[in-house]
Amino acid sequence: MSLVNLAHVCSHLQNASKARLGLTSIPVSKLHVNLLIALQREGFVSSVTLGGTTPPKPFFLQSVSAPEDTDALAQRLQSEPWAAYPRPESAKSTQTAQIPEVSVPENPARRRLWLGLKYWNNEPVLRHMQLVSKPTRRIWLTSEDLGKISRTRQSSFVRGLTHPGECMFLTTDRGVLEARECVERRVGGMALCRTW
Amino acid sequence: MQGLVMLIFLEPRTSAFRLMHRTTLDSLLAHSQLPRSCRPRRTMSVCRPARCLFARCPTGSLPKASHPSHRSFHTTTPRAARKRRPHYASIKADDLQLLNQAAEKRFPTYDTSETALLEKKYTPAQIAAIKAAESAIDTKDVITQGQMRTDPWLLPYYDDLAETNPTTDFAEKLGPEAIPGKKTFREANDVERDEAIARIASENMAKLYPDGVPEGELTRKQQAQYNQALEAALTQAALDPRATFTSSNPAAVAALADPRHSIVQPDLPRLENRMARQTRRSSEDEEEDPRQKRLSLYMGWTKRQMRDIRTKTLVVHGVTNQTRMGKIRSMYYLTVAGNGDGLLGIGEGKSVEPEEGRKQSVFAAIRSMRPIPRYENRTTFGDLEKKIGATKVQLFSRPPGFGLRVQHLIFELCRAAGIQDLAAKTPRSRNKMNVIKATWEALAGQKLPDEIARARGKKLVDVRKVYYGGSVH
Repeated sequence: MSLVNLAHVCSHLQNASKARLGLTSIPVSKLHVNLLIALQREGFVSSVTLGGTTPPKPFFLQSVSAPEDTDALAQRLQSEPWAAYPRPESAKSTQTAQIPEVSVPENPARRRLWLGLKYWNNEPVLRHMQLVSKPTRRIWLTSEDLGKISRTRQSSFVRGLTHPGECMFLTTDRGVLEARECVERRVGGMALCRTW
Repeated sequence: MQGLVMLIFLEPRTSAFRLMHRTTLDSLLAHSQLPRSCRPRRTMSVCRPARCLFARCPTGSLPKASHPSHRSFHTTTPRAARKRRPHYASIKADDLQLLNQAAEKRFPTYDTSETALLEKKYTPAQIAAIKAAESAIDTKDVITQGQMRTDPWLLPYYDDLAETNPTTDFAEKLGPEAIPGKKTFREANDVERDEAIARIASENMAKLYPDGVPEGELTRKQQAQYNQALEAALTQAALDPRATFTSSNPAAVAALADPRHSIVQPDLPRLENRMARQTRRSSEDEEEDPRQKRLSLYMGWTKRQMRDIRTKTLVVHGVTNQTRMGKIRSMYYLTVAGNGDGLLGIGEGKSVEPEEGRKQSVFAAIRSMRPIPRYENRTTFGDLEKKIGATKVQLFSRPPGFGLRVQHLIFELCRAAGIQDLAAKTPRSRNKMNVIKATWEALAGQKLPDEIARARGKKLVDVRKVYYGGSVH
């Protein structure tokens, strides 16, 4: 597991944000998937979808029904507003129906991870992303180190999180977690990247 | 060592000496024999255990350093202990009673007339919700901990729902169900029309002259005013829909002129015209620079506010323009302007006349003033970095009392903006102009934590505003 690909992902996300792209793709690996899901949990990216070489159809477009059906549904909802909520007994069936179809190629080499990038007030939400551990020098941090780092102090030669809204992601035995989450759960791990 | 033993045996009669643990004495002697650097930090000052010898302290208690009346082995005077004050005042039982009274007086419970009024407006479920919400918050807490919001997203007005603000609130609307009785109209005939016009005109005149129409001989000016008012009242009455239409139901006729029944939104309230105000003021004053006048018109500030702006010219150098006629020398100025309370601007000026160029830069700086977000009105929100050309400026937020440990140009900018705690680095080029520009852009381009949280879809709570009634400094 080299971190070279992760370094490429970091640079690519910075470049894509600078270019104001709405959707971009990165190569798939378990580390990338877990990290990007952690980024999504922190609100840096809007969506993480497994797909092929072409971008997946937006969920919104996939779930849009014909206008006649929409009219019928609106009329029905007007008379029975409770129909908007799924019925408890049919919760399972509706859930399976709601998952949109995504075509993932059989060949793993052709799979890509598609990310929705976020912008707010005409500024990218993710503007800076860089590696902490390097391919030639991994950095392992304890929860005590992370406590200091998340309080803006330097520890184990890792600078504190001093930028406003800065986050650091670590890979731990509980999955990829944010530094503050690690402090909360008292777990340490290998630092992956810092983002703001 | 000699002196120490002497001192110990000089006062053998003190009760403390008799009560003293043998271990204390042992440790004291052991520590005092060690060189200074080898002693543990806690007991580095010999006076602490030694003071225990002479103090009348019970056997079990630890030696305390806060009794300056006792002798110490130090020749230097001990530093007075910092006076510890609690961060929040403790409330006595009597005051608590007063607090209860104050809370009851300021936030009284609904009486029957008020509940009757509420029942007119709200459904029983809504009233239950209101009551549940009000009972969830202790009114004492509102008095002791409640405070005005200071965050950037606070509403521009207090949420007093009893009043409508024509600028921020929707205008009150009335529908046809508000009109009792029949709602049919017909076109008025000439007699009815004249009658209505006369009635409406007299109503309008009563509005224009609330104290009654002036009687007796009128001056020419008064007469002209009166004629004008009469004309306006008649015109308005002729245009009034009540003159054109009539109905057997007087409520329906009244609804015609009621703006609450109109589908057209009422005009926004007329604010005092800024341009008119400015021209009036400058006409009273003595002759001043036309640029200054234009600036004050642009800013809309009072003269006093304008005078409080601090400006300082930081960069001056000569520049030359090479033409085929020869070199044209002029002076370049870069000035910073700020009000010392979160506004900062920079401006450039260039002219053949030195004074002219300086003025240009000063006015440009004042015109370009932008708000600088400051954490606790003293430092930046986190670390900032900005690169312009080959110049990179890094600004680091610092704790209270740190001061401005920055280079002179950044220092002047911080002082003008009212920043008190900051550290800075200019690791690359230190070109003066670029340092100033980069610092200004870094300071003005800060993102607030609330904004970052919103962008990420997170909820942000400032816990310093929550604990101890928000009175944490």
